[in-house]
Amino acid sequence: MNETKVPFEATISDQAVSLPEKREEELPGRDSISILIGGAAGTGIMTLEKILTGAFKRSGYFVFSTKEYMSRVRGGSNTTLLRIADAPVNAPCWYTDIFIALDTDALSHAHERLTDHTIVLADENITHEEIEITKIPVSRALKELGGRHYANSYVTGVIFGIFGLDEAVLTESMEALFDEEEIHKNKAAMHQGVVYGQSLKDLPFPKLPGQLQQKTNSMHLMDGSSASGFGFLAGGCNMITAYPMSPSTGVLNFMASMSEHFTLLVEQSEDEIASLNMVLGGWFGGARAMTSTSGGGFALMSEAVSLSGMSETPAVIYLAQRPGPATGLPTRSEQGDLNLAIYSGHGYFGRIVLAPGDLQECIDFGYLAFELADRYQMPVITLSDQYLADSIGMLKRVDFSAYVQRRYILPTDALYERYKFTENGITPRGVPGLGEGLVVSTSDEHDERGQITESSHMRDKMVKKRKKKISLAILEAHSPKVMGEGSIAVIGWGSTKGVITEVLRELADPRLFQVHFVWVHPLDPRHLEMLKETKTNIVIENNVTGEFSDILKKHDIDIHHRILQADGFAFFTDLLKEKLYNLVKEQK
Amino acid sequence: MKHPLDRTDIDNAWCPGCGNFAILKLLKEVLTELELDPKNTVIVSGIGQAAKTPYYIGTHMFCGLHGRALPVSAALKLSNPALTVIAEGGDGDMYGEGGNHFLHTIRRNPDIVHIVHNNMVYGLTKGQASPTSQKGFKTPVQVKGVNNEPFNPVSVALALKAGFVSRVNIGNYTHAKSVLKEAFLHKGYALVDVFQPCVVFNKVNTYKWFKENTAEIEDSHDSSNLLSAMQKALENAPVPIGIFYQTMQSTFEENLRGDDTRALYSLSHDIDKLQLLFGAY
Repeated sequence: MNETKVPFEATISDQAVSLPEKREEELPGRDSISILIGGAAGTGIMTLEKILTGAFKRSGYFVFSTKEYMSRVRGGSNTTLLRIADAPVNAPCWYTDIFIALDTDALSHAHERLTDHTIVLADENITHEEIEITKIPVSRALKELGGRHYANSYVTGVIFGIFGLDEAVLTESMEALFDEEEIHKNKAAMHQGVVYGQSLKDLPFPKLPGQLQQKTNSMHLMDGSSASGFGFLAGGCNMITAYPMSPSTGVLNFMASMSEHFTLLVEQSEDEIASLNMVLGGWFGGARAMTSTSGGGFALMSEAVSLSGMSETPAVIYLAQRPGPATGLPTRSEQGDLNLAIYSGHGYFGRIVLAPGDLQECIDFGYLAFELADRYQMPVITLSDQYLADSIGMLKRVDFSAYVQRRYILPTDALYERYKFTENGITPRGVPGLGEGLVVSTSDEHDERGQITESSHMRDKMVKKRKKKISLAILEAHSPKVMGEGSIAVIGWGSTKGVITEVLRELADPRLFQVHFVWVHPLDPRHLEMLKETKTNIVIENNVTGEFSDILKKHDIDIHHRILQADGFAFFTDLLKEKLYNLVKEQK
Repeated sequence: MKHPLDRTDIDNAWCPGCGNFAILKLLKEVLTELELDPKNTVIVSGIGQAAKTPYYIGTHMFCGLHGRALPVSAALKLSNPALTVIAEGGDGDMYGEGGNHFLHTIRRNPDIVHIVHNNMVYGLTKGQASPTSQKGFKTPVQVKGVNNEPFNPVSVALALKAGFVSRVNIGNYTHAKSVLKEAFLHKGYALVDVFQPCVVFNKVNTYKWFKENTAEIEDSHDSSNLLSAMQKALENAPVPIGIFYQTMQSTFEENLRGDDTRALYSLSHDIDKLQLLFGAY
């Protein structure tokens, strides 16, 4: 048993890893159209989203889609928004160019999102007093085909027909999702849709942007949950123990699917308390373990977060936020758990909180979460939210060999002391069975051997040891990404990255520039100096009080304005653009 | 007398006369006699006096949170099935605070030995009722005596078809030793509920009381018969001690890992495969 080796053995004296370099490539054009599709849960609206995003990508477009759905299994009124563009797009819009209502409820539900220019398509049977509808014979076609569940295929066909796109591409996208038995009738439904869509081409539909086949072919299409999952796998995750909770379940599902391909142990635990304790047991034994949860579940984990900090056992926690508390809006979005992530637990101990803002950052910082947890022997919390987790977007090829693999565990000798004082506060970590030493992990205050002590001197030294680790980690904090320059900083964190980027590009106001934080705790004051030189600091956050703004204020940064939203939705480009425009137009 | 498994220079926090001392001695002897390598043995515990056991024995240890030793143990065994994993704690720790984990760990069936020091009282918090306190037991909190039905870990474990279900009385040392040995030899989850007196806070359930109120299960008992085991578990005058039930089932780690018993720290992911899977998106 002692003959086995630790792959990628590393120590804290190794330089901090740097993430693979990525050059932001500017693409020509800025045209986009939006399509909103509304229907009940359980009628395959998510399948429709997958088919369409895949088909538009294959047709040479940049696509983005996001959904909002009710916390119920069937029925209700849900929507999926697609944006089709000739440049990368990573944000939703509120107003839509085309709206397709699959039932009457959808019309009322999405009413506010229609403008005078929106073209509304709906089944012949659907009428609305105030909304002008272009009728499509969905139910008639379905009757002939023998089933309501072909509605989505029919509708995808209509869309492709309207824009005169290649039916073969749509078929390809569909074939990736349906099995032999299903595909035949779905294809038939799709074809009828295409034919009908083509007959509508004289209507004043918005023009599709130009196609960029070569660009989009080399890109990948996925949702935020999958991107996070790829990041965790790049970080070597080989154990996930979690209790299902929207919107974090996407990661759990993804990892479970990947357990078919890797040594990756997946256990659905009895509760979140067990989840995080299992994660700690896993790391103690040498695993790279993580859990996935949302705010309510994370609240239950807080005692074990403290244990991770105290016992210096690494832990990775993926926390997908949703509006809370107890239990809020289970399937909607908010950045409302930042304070929970930063302050949960009893007593002082170091932790790192990361909040990736797009698919690439989900991968980078998913990987980094494992690297940091292992390196500093402390909990690392990766924040996502329903919007980021569920949205589908595109990203460039990722070279996974570029992520430096490391494992900070060393074979122990007979005199090994788990909590030995070192200059930087970090004791090399051993695991049971690797080497001659005995490995301990303990929640009570302890001496260097890990034995319980109530000595005030030892307590003082151990508290300082643990505190030292976080001072060291701060030195490796990733600085916020600064995009552009100007006198007015538009500051965001996590999933608001895409929407702020687009709004600033649209406003084209030379005074505005974007500051995007991914490493949200602990902050390195050196990275904040620049915000003391800006004339105006505006923070945009998807919560009711401005949790991150308050943290910046604690670091002596003046916050002049906050744009906050806590209605269950992520920010929309068109609405945010208007708000920001009104805010800055009076500014000097 | 010093045992090879003693940790040296340790201040033991138990009261003189505590039943914990005998359990500690028993555990050390069983580990030695079964030639279990302390360098491949981990004791996982929670909070409480019983949960301090790992501090006094020369094996690896993980002393965590109140009630949470079992999930830690299961994941630890999963991360390295070659380890011998023991979860140890008191009745409040394992049956009160950790009750939910008790149920679900049995369902998982990790190959661990679960030792519960059962003294029917909360000692460390100075004498309140525990889940196993007998009805009528008076404490500063249960001033009129305990009203609640005592938790019967044996019948609960049997209801969940735990692989190995036993109870011993530390006052009957030789018998306890033979049962604990069997628990270690059993593949899968093994419960050993240990009657043990709290000499300070439980003046009712004393060494004498346990001696007079327990009886070894007779040899004729068929420990493969779940129904008769359950019948035995419900007897209480006297309370049976011994192995109630034993059955072989596949373990948590076998179910998740098959024959792969390599420590997870020795493994890494195939990056080419990851690249390929990503490419499919």
